[in-house]
Amino acid sequence: MSNLLSYFKSSIGKKQIVAVTGLMLILFIVGHLAGNLIFYLGPEAFNKYAKKLSDLRPGFYVVEFGLLVVFVVHMTLTASIVLENIKSRTVNYNVKKSSNQRSLSTRLMPFTGTILIAFVVWHLLDFTFTDKHGDASVLQDGMSYGLYGVVYNAFTDPIHSGLYIIAMFSLGFHLNHGIQSFAQTFGFSSPTYTPLIKNISQWTAIVITLSFSSIPVYVLIQFLSS
Amino acid sequence: MKNTIELTLKVWRQKISEDKGKFETYEVKDIDTSMSFLEMLDVLNEKLTLEGDEPIAFDHDCREGVCGMCGAIVNGEAHGPQKATTLCQLHMRKFKNKDTVVIEPWRAKGFPVIKDLVVDRGSFDRIIAAGGYISVKTGSAPEANNQPIKHENAELAFDAAACIGCGACVAACPNASAMLFTSAKISHLNLLPQGQLEAKERVVQMVEKMDEEGFGNCSNEYECEAACPKEISVSNIARMNREYRDAKFSV
Ligand code: HEM
Ligand code: FES
Repeated sequence: MSNLLSYFKSSIGKKQIVAVTGLMLILFIVGHLAGNLIFYLGPEAFNKYAKKLSDLRPGFYVVEFGLLVVFVVHMTLTASIVLENIKSRTVNYNVKKSSNQRSLSTRLMPFTGTILIAFVVWHLLDFTFTDKHGDASVLQDGMSYGLYGVVYNAFTDPIHSGLYIIAMFSLGFHLNHGIQSFAQTFGFSSPTYTPLIKNISQWTAIVITLSFSSIPVYVLIQFLSS
Repeated sequence: MKNTIELTLKVWRQKISEDKGKFETYEVKDIDTSMSFLEMLDVLNEKLTLEGDEPIAFDHDCREGVCGMCGAIVNGEAHGPQKATTLCQLHMRKFKNKDTVVIEPWRAKGFPVIKDLVVDRGSFDRIIAAGGYISVKTGSAPEANNQPIKHENAELAFDAAACIGCGACVAACPNASAMLFTSAKISHLNLLPQGQLEAKERVVQMVEKMDEEGFGNCSNEYECEAACPKEISVSNIARMNREYRDAKFSV
């Protein structure tokens, strides 16, 4: 038992838990994206999907609670890692050059992570804990379109869409480092596969970011041209 | 033909660990470009001594790039601007006339400054003492080829064993993490049959010692690999991550 306790306290153990929770979050993101893309099939399909999900409650609460725990674990451990790392260099260098091994994504991890958590809170207030049948759901034809309408109206505001897209780019940067970092943290490293994993990491990040961002862009284009 | 340059040096001066320390500026002239970086410091130190000033303290021993004693951050880079080179093997031809050169000690909580550019790397010795050894029957030397070793493992172990323990990895790491050093020392034994007896204990004890010494956590930035004068690969860190996990979850 003390064996496991020391695992959770060790730098490698903490990193590996960050990596596992990160992987779970990626799976969640992929599922979430699949759901979002139903938006393109129109209000009926989208609202039906949203209803199906909420009909899974109360059982679904268990899954949602699990997700919350994963988020909290990922965040608290990364926060503690970042703080420890700051403390491990008591005096900073006067001049420090990077050898360019650190990608932008790598440097930005704590920042993109913080943007993501702020985004999650905003996003939940925006689309989850909101009245899905009130004024916000009414489109130009004067009819309520449920959650579809809420999302559509939100994205007709360029600032709203812009913030959403910024958050999705943060997610992209986070994943670009995160996926390949997961492999290293778990101990997969090989001259053949590591470059491949880095490519996969980058392309997954790009596809996920652009797919999520496409929805506000689609709404804006449609709205502005109508 | 003799090429000489003159430089402005900004050097970290600190009397003892408890001293706050500060940068001092020195002008050096007539520096032969075929001198090594340490020889250039020798020239400055002779001048300082003659003038009655305290010479700059820096670590060195072999001056051949094999012992791991030398090292400083030169213009922001561990061991200076040349890849895969220790400070003693860096030559002044890498610098231009009238350059300003900033020289700082390794900075890490695990490497307290003793004086000027000299840091205490005893933490590395304690990590080695925690498990970087093998138990063998002593006696006459064994027959060289009586223990077959897979070629690939022999190569990987040899590459890891090239680590001279200079500390550039820690110095270059944005988190002052000692993962590259520790992983090289573990890999070099764990890849060989002679290291198997203590393989699990070794990775656990050395990693936990490393944490205890106050080094930071690795965030896979790979600055260490780029700074390493012996080009130790971060694949050693991946191996250590795997072996540590396996050791912890095996009963
Ligand atoms: C959608 C949500 C998220 C996903 C999919 C995700 C995914 C990941 C992954 C896969 C890693 C790599 C683990 C490794 O180094 O092996 C990681 C690292 C990290 N995450 Fe997240 N994460 C998310 C949210 C967050 C949040 C909300 C924060 C902070 C508030 C955060 C902060 C960090 C930091 C600082 C690291 C780097 C840790 C290190 O390298 O030492 N992440 N994340
Ligand atoms: S003095 Fe021995 S490696 Fe530089």
